[in-house]
This record gives sequence, C-alpha cells and structure tokens, in this order.
Amino acid sequence: MPTTSKVFGPEDEATLRESLKRCSPSTFEAAVQFRKTGNPEHVPAVVIGVIERFVEPDLRTKLKDADDDLRLIEDLGIDSLTMMEIVILVEEVLQMSINNEELRNLRTVGDVKTFIDCKIRGLPLPKPTKFIPIEHIGAVMPIQPPFLFLNEASVSSTSANGKYKITGQEFFLQGHFKDNPVMPASIMLEALGQLAVLYLLEGAPTEPGKVVSPQTIFFTGCEGVRAHRVCKPGDILTLSVKPKRMKMPLATFEGSIRVGQDKAVIAEEITLTFGLVDAANAPVPISGPEANVNPGLDSAPAAATPLRAAINA
Amino acid sequence: MPRVFITGLGFITSIGNDAAGVLRSLRELRHGFELYPPFQKPDIPCKVVGTIKEFTTDSTDPEDWTFPSRYRIKREMLRSMAPNGLFAHCALLQAIEDARLTEADISNRATGLYAASGGSPFLTHYHHERLLKYGVMRCSPMGIVASIVGTLNFNLVAAFKILGASCGFSSACASSAHALGYAFDDLSLGRQQRMFVIGAEDGNSDAILPFAGMRTLSLQGDPSLASRPFDAGRDGFVGTGGATVMVLETEAEVARRGVTPYAEVLGWGQASDGYNVAISHPEGHGSATAMANALRAAGIAPGDVDYVNAHATSTLIGDVSEARALRSVFGEALSRVAVSSTKALTGHGLSLAGVMESAFCALALREGFVPGCAHLSRVDPECSSLLLPRTTENRPIRVVVKNSSGFGGANVAVVFKRAA
Repeated sequence: MPTTSKVFGPEDEATLRESLKRCSPSTFEAAVQFRKTGNPEHVPAVVIGVIERFVEPDLRTKLKDADDDLRLIEDLGIDSLTMMEIVILVEEVLQMSINNEELRNLRTVGDVKTFIDCKIRGLPLPKPTKFIPIEHIGAVMPIQPPFLFLNEASVSSTSANGKYKITGQEFFLQGHFKDNPVMPASIMLEALGQLAVLYLLEGAPTEPGKVVSPQTIFFTGCEGVRAHRVCKPGDILTLSVKPKRMKMPLATFEGSIRVGQDKAVIAEEITLTFGLVDAANAPVPISGPEANVNPGLDSAPAAATPLRAAINA
Repeated sequence: MPRVFITGLGFITSIGNDAAGVLRSLRELRHGFELYPPFQKPDIPCKVVGTIKEFTTDSTDPEDWTFPSRYRIKREMLRSMAPNGLFAHCALLQAIEDARLTEADISNRATGLYAASGGSPFLTHYHHERLLKYGVMRCSPMGIVASIVGTLNFNLVAAFKILGASCGFSSACASSAHALGYAFDDLSLGRQQRMFVIGAEDGNSDAILPFAGMRTLSLQGDPSLASRPFDAGRDGFVGTGGATVMVLETEAEVARRGVTPYAEVLGWGQASDGYNVAISHPEGHGSATAMANALRAAGIAPGDVDYVNAHATSTLIGDVSEARALRSVFGEALSRVAVSSTKALTGHGLSLAGVMESAFCALALREGFVPGCAHLSRVDPECSSLLLPRTTENRPIRVVVKNSSGFGGANVAVVFKRAA
C-alpha cells in the first residue's frame, strides 16, 4: 500500500529515477504520479514498463500489442529468476510487498496487472489463472473422448481459454463432408460449451463449502451464433469464453473461436444450467491437485512453478 | 593411459587480452601495473594493481559494465556474473576459437569444465549490504550465484551448456593448478575427452585489500618496482585479476580434430606443508615434495627440466622457501634450470595464478623462449643459487615445471613438454 502519510520529495524522486533508470521515461512518469497521488490508474503503466525492461529486446514488440493473455514464461521468455527481478523492482517502486505464494500464481500479463491493482486497492485477490493440461481436463469433465474437443485450457475467475487441434481423425469428419472434411459448426459450438463447462468446474466462484457438480451441467440455449470461417484438419482452434451472467441455476457466456488471427465462430450467448453439491461429496479428480499448477503441455518442466524452479541451488 | 595436450588458450590478463598481446608482454617483459585509482587515498598504503584494460566492472550492476564489443553477452547471462565471470566468459570464447571447437565439441558428456576463483567479495559485500538495508526479501535473486565461490563454474557451465564433469576448486592461490591437475586426471583416466580449465579473479579493491591486513601486499608506489620476486628489495605482492582458460584434450581428440597442440601435460603432483594456515614452510617441504611427485609422475629427471615458472609472489618468506624447495629437488642440476616468476609482470592472480602461468608455459614451449625475471636488480642472497635470467631468452625448450602454492600450505607442481 502506498504511504500517503509521507510526502513524496525530491530525494524519493531521485531514488525512483535510479531504480527505473533502464525503464522507459513514461514508466518513470507513471511511477512518480502513482507515488504522488496513490491513484491506481497509473499502476498498469508501471508494471508493464518494468516487465518490458526485463524482456529481451527482440521480444518487446510482443509486449507492445499484448492482450492480457500473453504468458510471461511461454511467450515472453521470462524465467522464474527474471520474474523475481520484476517483482522486486515493482515492490521497490510501488512500495508494496508480494509474498512467494502470490508470486507463484502470476502467469500472464493480465494476472500481474490484476494482482497489483487488487493489492493497491486493498481488494481481495482474484483466483489465479490455472493452466489445465489434457490429463486434468479428462479427469474433471463429464464429457469424454471421442467427444471432448479441448487439448489444453486455462481458467481464471473472469474467463477460460482453450485450444483444440483438428486432427482429421475425428469420426464425424468421415461423413462431414464426403471427400471434404470440414469441422461441423455445431461441434465448434459444442467445443465452446465444453470450455464453459470447464469454467464452471474450475473457475466459477461458488458458495463456501460447495462445488459445481459435473453431473448437473447441461446446455439450455444459445443466441447470435455465426460461423465466419471453414475449419479443416490441421487448424488449431483457439477458444475463449467469458461469463456474462451467473445466477443459479443458469450461467450465460459469450464465446469466440479463432484460427490464428482469423475469426472463426462467434456466439453472443451460450447458456448452461448447473447445480451445486457439498465439496466433501465431490468426486476427486484422478490426476490429483498438483495438475492444476502445471503450465501448458508445450512449456518446459523447469518453468512449472516459478519459485520452486528457482530454488535449485 | 591417453596422453593429454593443451589445444587452446584464452587470456584476459593485466599483460594482454589475447594470446598475441600476452606473448609480446612476456617476450618484452612489459608489466601490466598501474596506480589503481581506488587505492590513491591516504588511508590505503598500497597503490599498484595489475589492472585489466578495456573492461570496466566497477559497478555492482552488470548492465553498467563495458567490455570489448567483440564479446556479445545477453543480459540474462550477465546478470548472474561477477567481474571474474565476465573475464572468464570472454577468455573462454577466445580459447574455444583458438582450439577451433564446434558447439558439438563443447556440449557433450565427454567435455567438462573445472574452474577456480575466490568468488566475488565485491558483490558479496553489496548484496549483504542490501539485505541489511532493505530486508531479506528484497535481495537480488542473483546475489548468491553471482558472488559465492563457485560463481565461475555455475555461470560458465550454464552459459556454455557443459554436460560433462564440472567443479570448482578452492585452495586459494593453488586453486587453478589443482583444477588443471584434476582435469589431467580425468582425461588420463578416460573419464573425459576434453576439459576446460579456468581461473579468474575480480582483481578489485574487495579482492585485494584484505591481504593488506596480512602485510603481504607491496607498498611500493612505483609500478616498475612493486613486484620483484627473488629480489632483495621485494616487499610483498601486487594484486591482479582477469581470467585464463586452457583447453585440454586427449591424444585421440587431437588426432580426430587434426589440431596442433601448444604442449603436452606430462603429469602433476601435490603435497601439503601441514605447517601454518597462511605462511609457507620455511624449508619449502611441501613444495619440494609436490615437485618431486610431479617429476616422478611425468617420468622426468630433474636434469631434464629446462625452465621452472616459479610460484614466487614477491613476498619475503614465500620466495625464499620456494628457492629452498627448488634447491632440494634439483640439487646440482639447479644451475642449468632457468627459473623466473612471471608475477613480476602480471602481479599475483590468486586463484587465477596457476592456470594463467601454466598457459604462459604453454606459450613458452610452443614459441621457444624463457620469460626473464623482470624488475630483478639485486638477487636476495637466499635465492642466489637459482639461475635467474634477467631478460627473456629466445631458445627452444623441452620440459617446463610450473609451481603453485596456496594458503594452508597446499602445493601443486605440473610438468609440461613441448608437443612433438
């Protein structure tokens, strides 16, 4: 928390300038404004500026037009030790403390921004983004192969993102269409629905002591569904759902699918029905609790948890 | 047992930042000393340091350092280095180029790296100060790996993707000679095919000044008088830093790659004084035994040795005890063995000394010269039985012995022979 009681003097400004000497001038300016006013609006500029300073120069363009899903380890090449360098500088500049447990959960640029913002405003911290590998998806989902259309997913309290690669081996492609395999739009809507199911099971806030029961989730309806692109074997579908409304027993999401930069499917609303059960009676996922702290399948095992990886002395 | 050859060298030293520069300094007896700016204060009685040129590493932030532009080092590597790590990284790049090694030659299970430095008291001090001032959780995550003894091997093994044996050696001024000896063992026992042997030191105030308390540093203000091994007027050693890298390979690798080695390593020996934590044995018992062991292991008679590169650091006790050790090992042959200490030119490189001076021996064997005793005007009577050439002698030499001694009375001797 900023120390509002103490005036931000020229000496503090000099120290701040020294601390941020390798950051952009706008980062320094934002930090000065934050320290003078305590206005959290300046925090994202400071945080992004500090991250930028530690990213290899040739990767900085990625950060420039980044959305909040940009991953620190996988996309920006930030290792766990660099993550700590970032945190220490942010702590120093914003005069706050971040503990190891909190640090471990920061995986995307959005996570970092949200996290620092909540700390500054004194709000409760959001659930961190969880990266969910295929084994864990299979373990928690009521839907199973050959009708499961998620290879990997990440879930936070505000959204769920997933990927599915069309292999060409899907049974329905034999007939859809004759000598011309095209992913059915209805199945793509199904895939978005499945991601929404995963969100309900892994990300949705529930009542204390209760969890969403996989047996209670069903499709109820959808609105404004449009397909923009024909998707074929070899395409990688990037799926995204965000909850719009949650009110027992209904949850409404907006969803979209992209292939690379192309828009493939938009669904303005997908609505599911769900029910809660006591946490004590919930089925235990096969792959155990460790699975939900693992990153995506394609990342190095050393990056699994920032702090544990670092303490390899 | 496979024979072991020196196939590559790299230097960042007070007398040159590449083999050509070092060779010229050794031949022309040019020293690397300067009045070191941080020492030019009334409360610091010693003034001279063997300085590293073309590098500035006086900031605690590696991103402030400057070094020749031919070395490109990424921030993510630089951030965990001490100054001695930077010097060694550059010297290793040189040695790799000199030995004509490919990436595949460097990163494989049969190639290892042994290193020696005293760590970085400079960065240890800085990080501990931060710890006390800002609290334990505000310390740099790089503080440990950048500063403790071992920083050299941690950084180099990671940066150069070394997959074979790796280890750090800590026997003070005998450290990198120990590293060389054990690297030789690994090769001759068939455990490895190629070893990088590395010594490095920061060579800055924090590394050198603590020796003032032992009264072992020269207080001479004249750079050409400060380091005078075996001279009656000597008053202590001059500190230096930098790095040297030596590539050792088995004869099979030398043949496979078709490279011309500098010299062969015939063998080595070691022995301890068991006498005093910091003072060498007055009769040089440990040093004499180390030399005798090395000669026996190498199958060389004392009379076959052409040149001894002495450990002699220009301290009062150390130089005399080494002279006595030489007398007891070489006997009547002593009058035919040229002896010099190249610390008269470089200063004392501490953990770096052993491999740096071994690399000088490799240059002397390949180029055919005996480095002279720079700055020697009046020989200490206790050392008068030594054959101490005043200038560099250009003549082919066949067998060389390199002596190193460290605190606790650790003594190492290594025997080199001209290749073919």
